[in-house]
Amino acid sequence: MTNTLHRQGTAEELKEDYVIFATTARGITREGSAPKIQEFMRICLRHDPVNIGSSRQGNILQNDVEIHELIANLGDGAGAAAVFTDLDTLQKVISELIEADLGVSINVSGLLDGVQQCCRGNGTERHSIEHSLGFWGSRDRLPEREILAFNTLCGHGLVSFNLIRKMIEYVKMRRLTPREAAKNMGKCCECAVFNTVRAEHLLEKMLET
Amino acid sequence: MEIDKTKCVGCGNCHPICSMGAISLNVDGISVVDQDECVECSTCHRVLRDERYGPSLVGAVRKFLSFFRLQYMAEVDVCPTGALTPPELDWPRSLRAAFSDPTVVHAGTGVGGRGTEEIKTNDVTGRLGEGEAGIVVELGRPGTGAHFRDVETVAMALAPLQPDFEPFNPVTQLMEDPKTGKMKEEVLDEKVLSAIIEVKTTLEKIPDYLHTLQAVQKETDAVFSVGVASRCLPDGSVPHEKWVTEAGYTLSPNGKTNLGLGRPLFQGD
Repeated sequence: MTNTLHRQGTAEELKEDYVIFATTARGITREGSAPKIQEFMRICLRHDPVNIGSSRQGNILQNDVEIHELIANLGDGAGAAAVFTDLDTLQKVISELIEADLGVSINVSGLLDGVQQCCRGNGTERHSIEHSLGFWGSRDRLPEREILAFNTLCGHGLVSFNLIRKMIEYVKMRRLTPREAAKNMGKCCECAVFNTVRAEHLLEKMLET
Repeated sequence: MEIDKTKCVGCGNCHPICSMGAISLNVDGISVVDQDECVECSTCHRVLRDERYGPSLVGAVRKFLSFFRLQYMAEVDVCPTGALTPPELDWPRSLRAAFSDPTVVHAGTGVGGRGTEEIKTNDVTGRLGEGEAGIVVELGRPGTGAHFRDVETVAMALAPLQPDFEPFNPVTQLMEDPKTGKMKEEVLDEKVLSAIIEVKTTLEKIPDYLHTLQAVQKETDAVFSVGVASRCLPDGSVPHEKWVTEAGYTLSPNGKTNLGLGRPLFQGD
């Protein structure tokens, strides 16, 4: 899947956007993976992610989701993701994951040079890389860049352009704070990769202009 | 998605939540779903809390408030009366949910949503080896949706390059003939949030694929996102970078990194 590949933003904005996730392969690492995925989540949780969850069970931004219960319910092959906003924390998470030697595949979406530094800082070298080549086709159907920066924070594009516009409007009207509006957007992102802190900063920036 | 006419009070909260903008008010002030545009992602049903109010009560309160020229402003993440009703989906409409709702596990892949594990498990599967590249074309992304006829247009354009369409990818499984990229007739009018064409090829052929995609973009109304992947060399360098940049295309500064922590590591190349 290309979930977190096409996140948009300036280099400065992308500096606070790192998604780490655990993935299993059927017939190789999936069977019996539940305790490993649960441990991955516990390690991430110890480092205070801004979002964390699983696509089949939701994320911590949603109503009625209790993270420890969510982790306990994760089964073999469950998706698991967490979002961090700085490289120092990411490096610590990777360090703990290397030490835990879980054996499931771990990927990070974010600025590639920064992630490579984290790997090297932990004495490893990256295995495979995927780049985005951007948006093609009928691009005239796309909204302005600012809207896309929010929309692409969800791996499946479930934060609609209309909801983003409504949240921007509500923030400008002072009906919602940037934090509340970011959380409302994040609730739509089922697999927990929506970066609420980045969304909040984008909204604050819009208030200033 | 369907909306129970006996429950809906026309508050409009579900309209902006809809990923495709497929919900609107009808002349009776009730929200209705444009079934052609709805991709069955169920975001409205998942995100909007059911407040379990009776429609009559909501109507009476509104009428009372309007008498004083006041309006009740509901929280943005509620459906006051629980009117959103996910329907039972028959084939081929069921494809919409399989590709658009991340909580639905695709029967063919065992993965929720519309793709495969791709490079995310390349450390243990060795799907992309030395000299190979993966190209992913995601139709409908970002936020616009796509019909399988759009997918077919792009797949058929790529077919003359003799691509190795990923067999476990759900789009490949819907092809009538992977040699031509032709999709099964009955799925062409189905719309999904997005669908991914996934190809494995050699590094040398990357420019051909990108030039072909550049040409076909004029033949479709769809938006699509393109990604390129490969296995790193032992020093961490990325083999596909050279081929993409020399062909005149720009790589993003961000992307996806497989850290190589899966075990047992694939040893085949």
